[in-house]
Amino acid sequence: MTIHDPRTRHGDASDGAMDQVGGRLSRVDGPAKMTGAAKYAVEQQLDGLTYGVLVESTIASGKVRSIDISAAEAAPGVLKVLTPDTIMSLRTASDWFGTPPPDKPYCPLARDITFSGQHVAAIIAETFEQAVAAAAMVKVSYDETPAITDLSDGKAGDGIPIDAMTKEWGDAQGAFAAAPVRICGAYNTPREYQAPMEPHGLIARWEGDKLTVWEPSQWLDGMARTYAEWFGVPFENVRLVSPYIGGGFGSKALALGHGAVAAAAAKMLGRPVRVVMTRPQTFTGYGGRAATRQTVTIGADTNGIIQSIVHRGVNETSIDGMWVEPLGVVTSIMYATPNFSSKQNVVRVNSVVPGAMRAPGENPSAFGIESAIDELSYEVGIDPLEIRLRNYAEQDPEAKKAWSTRQLREAFAAGAERFGWARRTPEPRSMRDGNQLIGWGVAAGTYPVRRAYGEAVVRILADGSVEVESSSIDMGQGTYTILAQTAAETVGVPADDVVVKLGDSRFPRAGVAGGSRLAGVMTGAVYKAATSALDQLIGLAISDPRSPFHTLQANTLVVANGRIGSPRGDGPDLSIAELLASVGRDHIEATGDTMPANSTAEDRYKNYTTIATSVPHTEGDYSRHSWCAHFIEVRVDEDFGTVRVSRVVSALDSGRLYNPKLAESQWKGGIIMGIGQALLEEGIVDRRHGRIVNNNLGDYLVPTNADIPDIDVISVGIPDLHSSVLGGKGVGELAIVGVAPAIANAVFHATGKRIRDLPITLEKLI
Amino acid sequence: MTDQTKSTTIPIHLTINGHNHELEVEPRVTLLDALRDRLDLTGTKKGCDQGQCGACTVHVDGQRVLSCLTLAAQVEGREITTIEGLAGEDGTLNAVQAAFLEQDAFQCGYCTPGQIMSAVACIREGHAGSDDEIREYMAGNLCRCGAYPHIVAAVRQAALEVAS
Repeated sequence: MTIHDPRTRHGDASDGAMDQVGGRLSRVDGPAKMTGAAKYAVEQQLDGLTYGVLVESTIASGKVRSIDISAAEAAPGVLKVLTPDTIMSLRTASDWFGTPPPDKPYCPLARDITFSGQHVAAIIAETFEQAVAAAAMVKVSYDETPAITDLSDGKAGDGIPIDAMTKEWGDAQGAFAAAPVRICGAYNTPREYQAPMEPHGLIARWEGDKLTVWEPSQWLDGMARTYAEWFGVPFENVRLVSPYIGGGFGSKALALGHGAVAAAAAKMLGRPVRVVMTRPQTFTGYGGRAATRQTVTIGADTNGIIQSIVHRGVNETSIDGMWVEPLGVVTSIMYATPNFSSKQNVVRVNSVVPGAMRAPGENPSAFGIESAIDELSYEVGIDPLEIRLRNYAEQDPEAKKAWSTRQLREAFAAGAERFGWARRTPEPRSMRDGNQLIGWGVAAGTYPVRRAYGEAVVRILADGSVEVESSSIDMGQGTYTILAQTAAETVGVPADDVVVKLGDSRFPRAGVAGGSRLAGVMTGAVYKAATSALDQLIGLAISDPRSPFHTLQANTLVVANGRIGSPRGDGPDLSIAELLASVGRDHIEATGDTMPANSTAEDRYKNYTTIATSVPHTEGDYSRHSWCAHFIEVRVDEDFGTVRVSRVVSALDSGRLYNPKLAESQWKGGIIMGIGQALLEEGIVDRRHGRIVNNNLGDYLVPTNADIPDIDVISVGIPDLHSSVLGGKGVGELAIVGVAPAIANAVFHATGKRIRDLPITLEKLI
Repeated sequence: MTDQTKSTTIPIHLTINGHNHELEVEPRVTLLDALRDRLDLTGTKKGCDQGQCGACTVHVDGQRVLSCLTLAAQVEGREITTIEGLAGEDGTLNAVQAAFLEQDAFQCGYCTPGQIMSAVACIREGHAGSDDEIREYMAGNLCRCGAYPHIVAAVRQAALEVAS
């Protein structure tokens, strides 16, 4: 996993600043990814590797009556056919909060079918091709029962109230009834899919009672815990390896059924097993974003000042699993309101349990409130940007606490300036270019600063280079690079002399790479470990009798660019390697973590293997969030209703950026996924069989290069030390929040048609 | 079991990145699976296995093709180039690879080999004349991380370098 090649290093600054935190260093894992040398998890070549292929249910509700495996068993190369009757028994694992599981067996192959695409059998064969062929020979017969296919199904009902989602203050209903201006809208978002380019899969290998799993993972320690509990082996016996991850977007944080099948097959066969989902299987093998429904009602005065917000939301979940997509999370904090009410239900449908997808909760929540306030702006005749400023929340309206930092006003100003918002004419359909109607829309977004704890080891090696180890991961956020910069700056060496090793659960632990928390957590841990290693180095230089600095009687020394000397520049000047040689040390090692003092081993295990210990963003005196404002231009063909996004300017407050080059890429990626959400993405359910019809990348449309214009991003953040050790807030999820409503608002400005149901497709406009 | 564990295989001879490889595989084995599972050339990625994402793009006789929709046996005697064959013997990145790195035209890196193989061909085909043309002729390679604007910038930069 060596990831450095100085010959190929590029960057935008010629001085050492590029190596520091905040510098625009190019990705240190870049050369490996440019040349194909980067080995992703399932690309390990193992002796005796076998290949598994899953067989999935073709009904959405009912029972498996029988599975005829005779032809498959006799097919060439087949080593094992697994069914609910033949797979080894596993134990139920705890959930991600660490809740003790019910004492009952877990079978990853289903007899009782609750959604189409459920794993019912698996073939293990000598080659992939043999497994694919044999899987097609498995004959499953069912006793089918009626399914609830989606939220619109007549059998779906009103669902289950989730009391924990209720937020209320003041008298929202009364204030709404008394308000002179009242608007009400119903906003829908469909099932959406993370669709990372690397499909989910793994290689599982047992050696005795020790399991190694090569699997793309956003959370090594959490997944290792699940595997350990399934198989009843100690946590330490499971090793997860995930050096590079081909995109996750929330979908690769948990161990899933196909992983249980692969690991069970490997144990039963005594050979390593690789199982990789087909692209269609990735639409049902785990959950995408739940479909949602919201109503937002706003009562305001004639100046557009909000008096009341009443919000009701519903999201779908599965028949036997629970997923709550928190729909009131942006509604409750974006604007100042004296009266507020938000409630939410979940509705069970015959689907795989939905899961986390980039900004779960914040994303659909913002579609509701940021569309609704746009509607209010037209109702009262006030510019959509101006009405947002008039209702600016000077503190967190829900927590009643000061913001740690909120550069949203600055974001509005910077974005409007760059976009040229002042040239906008207010009337819908008032801007055009030939037969293209032009619309300009604005919307804001936000994401909370989720905090947790991490640990890292920093070693200063005999040759003066620095090594960082952590079981955190890089799925494209830039973890390798920013941790190299953090260690380089803290110890005082060039970034080229730092090697960062991630993605192995044997390394010091880290929690989930989710909720945009990893960079803040891990830069803090590496900073602490590197500081401690530097202290040891300087301590040795000052106190060891063999050190050339010993006679200097200095209180401290300075390390810069890999060399150590006195602060005043007198006395010796040595490379780190020379100093270590002089005192007879081959390395210095320091562990750093950000756990509270006196944490027990049990605390640590819980911290790294569950999400139960993450710190609330409103802990203490402050409410901590990232913020953004999107300004978007659309062009709508007047005859055909086709919508193209032609210009995007977004101003974002993620606090201090550890590496602006990489943060800008992540922001743009979020905006592009938001364009897909607004215009293209929708899981379409076949009502007859409860199947996802468009379960592939040709029919589930994600943006292509030809769909995306140039995107202009502006950083308006300032360091926020209430949010993280080095002052950063969240980056990865923020930028998608608010894109879809900004586009819907632009489409309204272009056409005069308010689309409250995503995606905005042409048949809704003509 | 033994006679069942063997399917019918055929010998094939592939020329990949200038090196010769002898393989004994079933006729149904795709070029993509031959590269990844038989030859440890895992730089070529499997994103969909049905010709929709472009991650598996390689060159056959200099033309970009989807290796997931190409049988290994189809390309006997043809010149195959994969991502592993682009950089110089000494590891020097070619112009497109260097531009992708400099422009940060990737995040997770999984679509990147396919993007780069497409970009090399796109430039060679003369389809990198404007940003709009680049967007159109790179539209067959999906990138879910959303590196598209930077991919356009990288292709533009590399096209200029190749031309000069």
